[in-house]
Amino acid sequence: MTELDDMPDGSDAALALDFALGALDGAAMRAAELRLRRDPVFARDVAHWQDQLSPLVDEVRGVSPPRQVWTSVDRELFRAAPARAAAARTQSVWATLAIWRGLAFAASGVAAVTLGLLVSRPGAAPVVVPAVAPAGKLLAASMASTDSAKAVLITATYDPSRGAVILTPAAADSSRGLTPELWVIVGKNPPRSLGVIDLKDPQAHRIPGALRAQMTGGATLAISLEPAGGSPTGQPTGPVVAAGKLTAI
Amino acid sequence: MSGAAGLVTMLDRIGAGDRDSLKMLYEATSAKLFGVILRIVIERGEAEDVLQEVYITVWRKAAEFDATRASPITWMVTIARNRAIDRLRAKGSRPTTSLDEAAEVRDAAPAADTMIDTANDAKRVDAALGTLDPKHAAIIRSAYFEGLTYEALSDREGVPVGTLKSWVRRGLMRMRTVLEA
Repeated sequence: MTELDDMPDGSDAALALDFALGALDGAAMRAAELRLRRDPVFARDVAHWQDQLSPLVDEVRGVSPPRQVWTSVDRELFRAAPARAAAARTQSVWATLAIWRGLAFAASGVAAVTLGLLVSRPGAAPVVVPAVAPAGKLLAASMASTDSAKAVLITATYDPSRGAVILTPAAADSSRGLTPELWVIVGKNPPRSLGVIDLKDPQAHRIPGALRAQMTGGATLAISLEPAGGSPTGQPTGPVVAAGKLTAI
Repeated sequence: MSGAAGLVTMLDRIGAGDRDSLKMLYEATSAKLFGVILRIVIERGEAEDVLQEVYITVWRKAAEFDATRASPITWMVTIARNRAIDRLRAKGSRPTTSLDEAAEVRDAAPAADTMIDTANDAKRVDAALGTLDPKHAAIIRSAYFEGLTYEALSDREGVPVGTLKSWVRRGLMRMRTVLEA
């Protein structure tokens, strides 16, 4: 039981409560959202308060929405024509990526690692990253920054036994206030978000249980820059700054 | 299929790409979520937009839902509140209802939403809130239902932010004590 004295303004306990309640202002709320995805202890505290508060929702009278809302959801997600705009937006980013995926495959001469690839600067040379190759079924992807032809932005090593990707940034964070978000793409499926990440420090990034099956050799990991808090749509909306294929090491 | 377990099953199937389950989930939960959104985003057309965004988000993020960490309705309400609060804050200000009006809504008939298994919990939370200073309970409801920041609540109530935070935190801690008793 946390006592009030343990909950001074600015403490994690207070932040979790404030966030669950929804009483933080914009910037603080974004910071807390980012934290939520990376800090399991904080996430548990928030979940605890959300759970405690959620029965309040029963006080809200249900209001039937007009049929039009479902029609719009259905059209946006499942009907070809109106979805074209959204698809086109995504394609501009991911079609480029598909090309570079092919290139990376062709260029990978080192069994243990994939090559970093430069999505928006096709002229730059891919960078080979020496793999620290532990035993087992680890998968790794190295991703080069589009900002610097020389620097590998980040190395991702997926450890199935932990259900986590160990992210080791190799270059300075160049996200300029935007939030890097990690994606996995299997075959021709749409990218699935693995959550927002930090390019500043090495970290273990937990992969949601339901997405672990996607973390297979040949799947592509990519990083896009998104508004604070991550993509608002569930699909990449910002520029892809790095991508690379997962390969067994 | 009923109750939280039914919602979990639907979310699992949605995560695997099952469209029919999304429709079922929408039918089971959209009235409740629309009610929640309307408390925060009062303008109806905007609330409809937010509701649409919520189900698109649910479709895309269903695979991330983890039933061991949150109940399905808590997860969905969190998405709905966050989207609605985003919309609200993007607009800047909003007309705010007084605490008296907030109290009226509290007395409104509970939704006959059989898919959502929180009725008993709601009675317990209501009872727990009932043990608080009515003003503190009203502030907690305002923050939760209307998406108001501490600063906005402070302006509206004419109470310093620090005092307000202390009321809210004390109130919630006390609620927790009552609920865990």
